[in-house]
Amino acid sequence: MSQIILSAQDLHKDFDKVQAVQGVSFDIQQGEIFSLLGPNGAGKTTTLSMLSCLLTPTKGDALIDGHSVRKQADKVKQVIGVVPQEIALYPDLTARENLTFWGRMYGMGGVELKGRIDAVLEIVGLSDRAKEKVETYSGGMKRRINIAVGLLHQPKILFMDEPTVGIDPQSRRRILDTVLDLNQKGLTVLYTTHYMEEAAELSQRIGIIDHGKLIALGTQAELTRMVGQFDTLHIGVDGDKIDKEQILKVVEKTKGVHRASFENGSMIVQAEDANAVLGDIVAHMNQAGARVLGLRMEEPNLEAVFLHLTGRALRD
Amino acid sequence: MKALLIAWKDTLTRLRDRKALVTLLAAPLIISALIGLAFGNINFGGSEAPVTDLAVILVNEDSGQLGQVYEEVLTSEALAELLDVTQMDDLDAARRQIEEGAARVVVHIPAGFSDQVLPEAPGASVGRATVQIYTDPTSTVAPLIVQSILEQISAGISTVNLAAQISAQQAGEYAAILGPQLAQLAQVLPEELSREKFDFETQRLILETSQVGEAQQEINAFAYFVPGMAVYFLMFSMFTGARSILDEENSGTLPRLMTTPTPLGQIILGKMGGTFLIGLLQFGILMLASRFIFQLSWGTSLPGLALIVILTVFAASGLGALLTTFTRNQLQANVIGSTVALVFGALGGSFFPMQGTTGILDVASKLTVNRWSMDALTKLTVQNAGFSEILTEATILAAIGLVTYLLAIPLFQRRFVK
Repeated sequence: MSQIILSAQDLHKDFDKVQAVQGVSFDIQQGEIFSLLGPNGAGKTTTLSMLSCLLTPTKGDALIDGHSVRKQADKVKQVIGVVPQEIALYPDLTARENLTFWGRMYGMGGVELKGRIDAVLEIVGLSDRAKEKVETYSGGMKRRINIAVGLLHQPKILFMDEPTVGIDPQSRRRILDTVLDLNQKGLTVLYTTHYMEEAAELSQRIGIIDHGKLIALGTQAELTRMVGQFDTLHIGVDGDKIDKEQILKVVEKTKGVHRASFENGSMIVQAEDANAVLGDIVAHMNQAGARVLGLRMEEPNLEAVFLHLTGRALRD
Repeated sequence: MKALLIAWKDTLTRLRDRKALVTLLAAPLIISALIGLAFGNINFGGSEAPVTDLAVILVNEDSGQLGQVYEEVLTSEALAELLDVTQMDDLDAARRQIEEGAARVVVHIPAGFSDQVLPEAPGASVGRATVQIYTDPTSTVAPLIVQSILEQISAGISTVNLAAQISAQQAGEYAAILGPQLAQLAQVLPEELSREKFDFETQRLILETSQVGEAQQEINAFAYFVPGMAVYFLMFSMFTGARSILDEENSGTLPRLMTTPTPLGQIILGKMGGTFLIGLLQFGILMLASRFIFQLSWGTSLPGLALIVILTVFAASGLGALLTTFTRNQLQANVIGSTVALVFGALGGSFFPMQGTTGILDVASKLTVNRWSMDALTKLTVQNAGFSEILTEATILAAIGLVTYLLAIPLFQRRFVK
C-alpha cells in the first residue's frame, strides 16, 4: 500500500461569521493525483491555502510528509510546491528572471538553480522564450510559467489551484498533459477544479466539496455508483412566461423520472432511462406552452453525482 | 539574505516601469525648471544673471553722524556695482523721480535722526527714529535689496547703542558694590562704544557686502526648488513603493512568497528595503541631473549631504509603510499617500520656504519629513553648511525613520497572517 503523504484532519476555517471550510478530512497517497471538485466558493482554495500554510486553520490540522501545517510550517513549505489560481509572477521580469527569483526564495542558487530552471522550462515547453518578459506572454504561456515556478525546488507534492482557468483549449490540453506526465514521473498532485472533465481525466480519486464540506470522496467509478444508473437530460426551454413549478410537478410525476429542476433556462431531468421518458416530458412541456429549444443526454458522470448530492449543477 | 533579494527585485521591476520612471525622475526636474524659470533669475550657463545698478536716490537731511553712516554705506565702493545712488536734497523731487520711472527707491533720512538715536547725555532715553523708503510699486527686487541693506545698518546701530546704554546703566547700579573705579566705567563706556561704532559699522558693511553677494545666489530659484521638488516627489515614490506590497497581495505574488520558506518579516523588510533603494536612486539621480543640467551646487559637505539624503529616504519610506498598514486597499493607499505627500510638500517647504514661519504653521511644518529635510538641504546647498550643522535635522529624520519602521513591520505582519 502506498504511503500517505498528506492527511487533512477535520479542517475548519472561519472568516468572521462565514464558515468557509467545515470539517474537511481526506488523505492523499504518494504518487496520486487527487482532485478537489466543486463550484466557485465551495471552499477549495481556502482548503488549499490552509494546506499551503497561508491560512491558519480555525480548527483541525493537516500533516504533510509528516509535518503539521499548524506547528511546522517551515518544514511543510520545503516539501510543497504551489501553483496558485492567479498568475503570481512579475510581468516586468523575464521568465528566467522570475524563475531565478522564486528559486532563490526556496534557498536555491548557483549551478543547481540554473539546472533546475532549464529543466522546468523544458517541462513546460518554454525554453526558447525564457528571455522574454512575462508581460509579453499569452495567457496560456503565463500559466505554464506559473506551473514551472511550483516545480523548481522538486516538491514532494504539488498543489494546483484551478490552473486552467481562462485559457484557450490548446493551452489547457498542454497543461493537463504536463500534469499527467509529471504524475507518471512520480509527482503527487492535489488539483482543485470546477471542471468535471478535468477531475475525471486526471484524478485517481476525487473529493467533491460544496459549501465548505466534503460531501463525497472516492474514485470516479465509486462516485458515479452513488447516482445509480440515472441518465441526465438537459432540455433547453424557451418561455419566460411558463409556470416552471407546475411543469416540474408534472414532469416529476412521470414514470421513470427520478428528479427534475430548472437551471439557467434549462430543465435538468434525471431518469432511469432517458429515451423512455423523453416523449412524455416533451409532451408535458408542450401542453404547458414551453417550447423545447435543445436537448442533451448524458450517462452517469461527476456532474450527475454533484446534481444528485446537491440538487444543483456543478457549474453554478 | 532573502530580504535583499526581494529589495533588489523590487528595484529592478520599478526601474523597468517607464511610467514610474517619469514620476521618479522626469517630473521633479521639469517642475523644478518651470518653477525656477518663473521665480528666479535663471540662466543655464551657470553664471548668475546679475542684479546691478539699481537706481536709488538718497535724501539725507540728517546732519549728525548716523546720517553720514547711511550715506557712506550706500555710496561705498563695495555696493557700487549693485546700487547707483544719486543724492538729492528735496524729498518731493526725489519721489517724483520714482513716479517718472527714473528711480526705483528713495531712501530718506530725516533731520535730527542722529540726535534721536544718540542723545548727548549719557544714559538719556533714546527716541524713536525712522529711515523712510519710498519704492516703485512695480519693482520687486530693488526695494527688497535696499531694505535689506538699510535693516543691516539699522540693526548694527541699535545693537551698539543699546549695549552702550545697558553697560553704563549697570555699571552705575553696581558702583556701590564694585567700588568707585568700576563706577567710572559708566562715563567711559558710552564714549568708547560710540567710537567703536564706526569700526563696527565698517565691519558690518564688509559682512553685508558679502551677504549681498550671497543673496544674489539665493535668487537662483533652482537652489531651493530642485531639493524641494526632489523631497516632494520622493514622498510620492515612497508611498507608491510602500503600496506595492498591497499590489503584490492583490496580484498573488505576496501569498505565493508566503508559501515559500521565507519568513514574513524578511518579506516585509525586503519590500520596505526595495522602496528605500529606489528612493536613494531617485534622489541620487536627481542630484546628479540637477548638477549637470542646472549647474546646481549641492554644497561642500558630501558626508552631510549623503547623511541627509539617506535619512530623508529612510524617514519617508518608513512613513509610507506605516501609512499603508492603516489602509484597506490600494485605492485607499493611493488617495491617502497622495494627500499626505501634497500636504507635507506644502507644509514642509517643498514649494516655498518655511524657515521664517511662526506659531501653529511652524509647529505643523515641523511635523513633516519635508521640513527637516529641506532645512538641512537648504543649509547645505544655500549656506554651504558643514556636517556638524545638520546633525539636529539628521537626528530627527533618523528618529522618524526608526519609529515608523518599527511600527510598520509588526503591523504588516499582523495584517498578512490570517
